Amino acid sequence: MRPAGRFCRLERSARGRMKRKEIEMRILFTLAGLLAVNAAGAEPLSDADEIVERANLAAYYGGADGRSEVRMIITDGQGRQQRRQFTVLRRDVAEAADQQFLVVFSQPSDVRGTVFLVHKHVDRDDDRWLYLPGLDLVKRISAGDKRTSFVGAHYFYEDVSGRRPSDDTHELQETTDDFYVLGHTPKDPGSVEFAYYQTWIDRETFLPMKIEYTNAAGDVYRRVEVSKVDVFDGHPTVTVSRVSDLLTGGRTDMQFRYIKYDVGLPEDVFTERALRNPPREWLQRPTD
Amino acid sequence: MNRWLALLLLPGIAWSQEDDPFADDDWGDWEETEQEIVVTGFVEGGAGTRFSRDALVAGRNTLEDLRIRFETDWQAERFSVAAKADMGYDGVEDDVYLDFRDLSLSASLGKTDLRLGRQVQTWGTGDLLFLNDLFPKDFVSFFAGRDDEYLKAPGDSLRVSHFNPLVNVDFVWTPDFEPDVYLTGERFAFFSPLAGGNVAPRPPFSAVEPDGGFSNGEFALRLFKTVKGNEYAVYLYRGYFKQPTALTAALEPTFAPMSAIGASLRRPLGPGLFNAEFSYYDSRDDDDGSNPLLPNDQLRFLLGYEWEAKPSFTVGFQYYLEWTQDHDALLENSPAPEFEPDEHRHLITNRLSYRLERDKYTLSLFTFWSPSDRDFYLRPAFTYRHSDQWSLVAGANLFGGDDDHTFFSQLQDASNVYLRLRFSY
Repeated sequence: MRPAGRFCRLERSARGRMKRKEIEMRILFTLAGLLAVNAAGAEPLSDADEIVERANLAAYYGGADGRSEVRMIITDGQGRQQRRQFTVLRRDVAEAADQQFLVVFSQPSDVRGTVFLVHKHVDRDDDRWLYLPGLDLVKRISAGDKRTSFVGAHYFYEDVSGRRPSDDTHELQETTDDFYVLGHTPKDPGSVEFAYYQTWIDRETFLPMKIEYTNAAGDVYRRVEVSKVDVFDGHPTVTVSRVSDLLTGGRTDMQFRYIKYDVGLPEDVFTERALRNPPREWLQRPTD
Repeated sequence: MNRWLALLLLPGIAWSQEDDPFADDDWGDWEETEQEIVVTGFVEGGAGTRFSRDALVAGRNTLEDLRIRFETDWQAERFSVAAKADMGYDGVEDDVYLDFRDLSLSASLGKTDLRLGRQVQTWGTGDLLFLNDLFPKDFVSFFAGRDDEYLKAPGDSLRVSHFNPLVNVDFVWTPDFEPDVYLTGERFAFFSPLAGGNVAPRPPFSAVEPDGGFSNGEFALRLFKTVKGNEYAVYLYRGYFKQPTALTAALEPTFAPMSAIGASLRRPLGPGLFNAEFSYYDSRDDDDGSNPLLPNDQLRFLLGYEWEAKPSFTVGFQYYLEWTQDHDALLENSPAPEFEPDEHRHLITNRLSYRLERDKYTLSLFTFWSPSDRDFYLRPAFTYRHSDQWSLVAGANLFGGDDDHTFFSQLQDASNVYLRLRFSY
């Protein structure tokens, strides 16, 4: 039921651009296995909250669950590089609502075996745990600690599981041929390091393709960009992205592979059991 | 693919191929991580020395470590084997060693996980304070400035974990009692109530351990459950005090039989995390607290709160109480009442941790301060992670206090600075 709803939205938003991009769209739908059922032509959306909600769904809620392998190359301002590799499992408790994430690190050697567990909530702060294998320690991470570096990357903890749409107010600034351009202002400015941010949301996939963060001085100091999107199991999915620290010149590149949706992850994969004993059955690469 | 190529070419969004760090990647190990035995680890050198010489201990240095770590695991269909070993030379104790921190066999049977063999285990909610965690600790490594990991000593155990929606159960059986690594006088002198002052005996102090046999093993049980982000746990333990605080009839130091029952809660509160824990230590052979050879019952209690005060700046406070039961009987029967613990030993801890430049640099200070014992222990440290391979830690262990016999005060002459350099592979 849920995927069908998404495809209808995808298709409806595509209708308005059928002439200009007819060929590309045909290819897209073939790729996605979505040969079209005609719907009434749709105007671009005009409600910022609705666009943000769809972007949130597109970026974080593909399928009922999913798995992906990720590697990051972290480059500091002097050009020195570090690497991280991990597998992410994700399960939706409910669409557009609570979610669970399990992140299991395999590289480099000093973080190998580290496991990060998130229980994301829409009505209260997320619950987050980090398992440190050297001490056999299950460390809880406090709620405030979310816009700090995720394992040394320019990504933040909050980027892993997504920022709650209700934490910001949203404004649709411009609708271009390809993007909805939105501005976002935090409701609690004291809890974040940015004063404002802008997103470019793809009108067809609803994936945020670029995000720029502005500090209190009015300077854009942080940028997230998507450079590659592929379709897996019918879900357009980011496969290459980059976050840049524009003040230091540092950046983190992120690449996703072995992506699969609707693998049937059970709830007990996202418990303390998985921290000490990561669920191998579900971490194994899909064979097909 | 045109659709996505078009996206790629959008100005301001894509970066060129030359700029793609993944393009010429020799890190081509997407394919290699499965079904292979990977050996990882590190080589580490560490040096530490006292601020001033301790007349009781021959050498001034507190840390002369050179070690190589090997870690690997092997996974079969139904079970897995893990190994983690340190090989090295300890210059302070002039000892070449091979220590396994992990050598265990694991299997999962439905909702039950089994782990058999040498392993490091941790539970409870305290930050560097342990109430219901009665797994062995290595305080010598901790005071000498080795990696925090070494505070937890391994033990040979069978662990059975059962998970179900009603309550999760952890049961750990350690057939042979595993004491803490206690102060022996070899690296650090310690206070002896019999001598009335610090001693560093030669050969090093060694306590009498309980005989083998089923009933002399350690049994630890934890029932735990997380409800709406609140972590509840109940603990039971039957074994021994982990420190040699008792004397045999022949006045040799030993470990008194002890059973414990406790509980803990950890939950979010405001911007941070709150934890509370208690444990009642029942000194089984000293019901009324009158036996001077045995420690008395104790109620241990902990309250803690930790939050991120500023981005990357974490602050934590803990209040900890050791309440010795039957304290009057203890004093009445003690040959040296002046060295007995206060009825209430209060301890306050503070953690300050500041991470800079995406955790490349970490500045931390952990403070133990006891207003009742009037002593303290400061652990400042600076960590620099240069790369995925190289990291460096510089720190100090600073002890002080008014009396000679209290826990941190006895280590005044052991105050030290240390430096460790690690290459991870």
